[in-house]
Amino acid sequence: MATQTQGSGGAVSAVLMAGLAGLVVSLGIAFFNLLSGGHSAFNTGSDGVSWGLPVVNYVFFALTSTGLTLVASVAMTFGNKAWYPIAKRCVWLSLVTLVAGFASLALELGHPFRMLWAIPLNAQLVSPLNWMGIFYAVFLVLGILKFLRIHNGDWNSSTSKQIGLAALVTELLAGGMLGMAFGAMAMRPMWYGNLVPLYFILTAACTGAAFAVLVTCLSYDSEETMPAQVRTLMRGPLPTAFAGLLGITILVIGYRTVIGLWSNADGLQVWDAIVASPWYWIEAALLIGAFFLLLQRKALALASVMVIGGFFIDRYDFVIGGQLAPLFKGSWVPDLIAYTPSTTEWMLTLLAFSIAFLGWALGEKLLKLDAAPQD
Amino acid sequence: MAKWGMVIDLEKCTGCQACSTACQMENNRLPGENYQDVLYYTEGRQPTPTLKWFPRPCMHCEEPSCMHVCPTKATYKTEDGVVLIDWDKCIGCKYCMIACPYGVRFYTDEKPLIEPNIKQVFKGDGDLSWNPPYKGPQQDPKHGVGIQPNGVVSKCNFCYHKISKAPKGTPDLDESNPELVEYVPACVRTCAPKARYFGDLDNPNSQVSRLISDKQGTRLLDHTGNKPQVYYVSGGGAASGAVPGTRSNKKA
Repeated sequence: MATQTQGSGGAVSAVLMAGLAGLVVSLGIAFFNLLSGGHSAFNTGSDGVSWGLPVVNYVFFALTSTGLTLVASVAMTFGNKAWYPIAKRCVWLSLVTLVAGFASLALELGHPFRMLWAIPLNAQLVSPLNWMGIFYAVFLVLGILKFLRIHNGDWNSSTSKQIGLAALVTELLAGGMLGMAFGAMAMRPMWYGNLVPLYFILTAACTGAAFAVLVTCLSYDSEETMPAQVRTLMRGPLPTAFAGLLGITILVIGYRTVIGLWSNADGLQVWDAIVASPWYWIEAALLIGAFFLLLQRKALALASVMVIGGFFIDRYDFVIGGQLAPLFKGSWVPDLIAYTPSTTEWMLTLLAFSIAFLGWALGEKLLKLDAAPQD
Repeated sequence: MAKWGMVIDLEKCTGCQACSTACQMENNRLPGENYQDVLYYTEGRQPTPTLKWFPRPCMHCEEPSCMHVCPTKATYKTEDGVVLIDWDKCIGCKYCMIACPYGVRFYTDEKPLIEPNIKQVFKGDGDLSWNPPYKGPQQDPKHGVGIQPNGVVSKCNFCYHKISKAPKGTPDLDESNPELVEYVPACVRTCAPKARYFGDLDNPNSQVSRLISDKQGTRLLDHTGNKPQVYYVSGGGAASGAVPGTRSNKKA
């Protein structure tokens, strides 16, 4: 095992402190509001949006975890050695982002602890949600095992590779099942479609790559202080692959939008509202701007932040947008339901980001995330 | 074993909401969380708009998507065709509320529809969401009957505490029959114009089966494949009600 030379770690320390502060603030406010008012602290409702911002957080971070596993697999499963310098970092980050997503979801569920026994004892085999939970739980175990292996220097043994491959497969199945949880809903045309799992995995790869690039940039003071292998990767293969993925995804988002606007199917009128919102165009500007930055291999950290921001808006539009056309509710319900997340819901977003970045910074400080195999 | 179902005659329904009120009392519902609702639609434009209404309980589907998505099997279908929720298994993930095409499921831990918050005025004991001044005698969480606990989803249960006690082999639960009246769902029993019928859909001689056959009963959103066990019949005239084809009455 070789450990690369890191910078002074100023950025890591700053992220660690910011993550800690975010964790304390978000947990404090969220718990106070939830303990005093229950889920009425959310702006969700039976007559409107049942799955609010906490579910958006979950989808965003769970899919980011899938994407990070995909990025890690380029070296560890598919044998492209140039990607080894970021592999361990990605494995660790795939675990902490999944924990971040689970944390937001757990605070959204009515009975999170009941889930621990009720799902295993009464598993509904035809429920996508059930399989998604199983696959993400299995990945969590496999991901921890894989991380322990590489942390102890076992990168290439047959067992280590098999665990890595199994982790990759379970992550792809989990992300796909999360897509199916939405895509199977024929009664909600905004979500419905047999390609939604593919869309989720594609966009997962983008957010995974964004987090991988961002934390790699943050791990070193500047490109000059990066070890040669990391610098080579960050100047060539990584931004190129990232730009390619992002370009395809931008096209897919564009086609989804046009199809949504073109179709007259009841329920798809929500696309008019989505496109009329400035947030849609902010998303477009962020993703297209990041695409050109990546093509020019400039300002990679900024490009990554833009992609993370753009896809958070995309997840929001997807999860919330699918619920805005009211079901059979009568004339007193507006044509499209108005929903604005509450302070408590935003605190769960802050909580999830804080867990992800605090977890990464702790890993960077304590777990030698820059390690890579010697050969 | 019966397959319980309901027929609603839209030609007879006056939109009086007695069904909703009876259901609220019978099932300890909070304002805005009616298992049984009457939806109102304004159709047409000035100067000749018309007011339409549409009574809508849970459809107790033959292929309930809410049941299929429930990760803990908390939502289940009984042998006599009723879709129920086991509140002791529900984790409050709300996937069933997402998957129900009819919008007939309720999560009670939400901002109140009206002030003062009834749940604060009549605070619930233990896990129960509230403590209504009038309570039905039944609290059966395994069948989703009684006062809704916090953190779970609820829905119309066809007054399972009543219909499950009906004599076996009964083709129709007719409120005009003194021997059966106590087994009749509250919304059916209270319907003044007798627009609601409740009986065994598998019995070709039941009144509900004959009505569906004779008056060409239709089901709401049949294209979803959920196959509701609630049927609507109508005379088809301009003045009579019709099953809405879309979820909202107008496009954005």
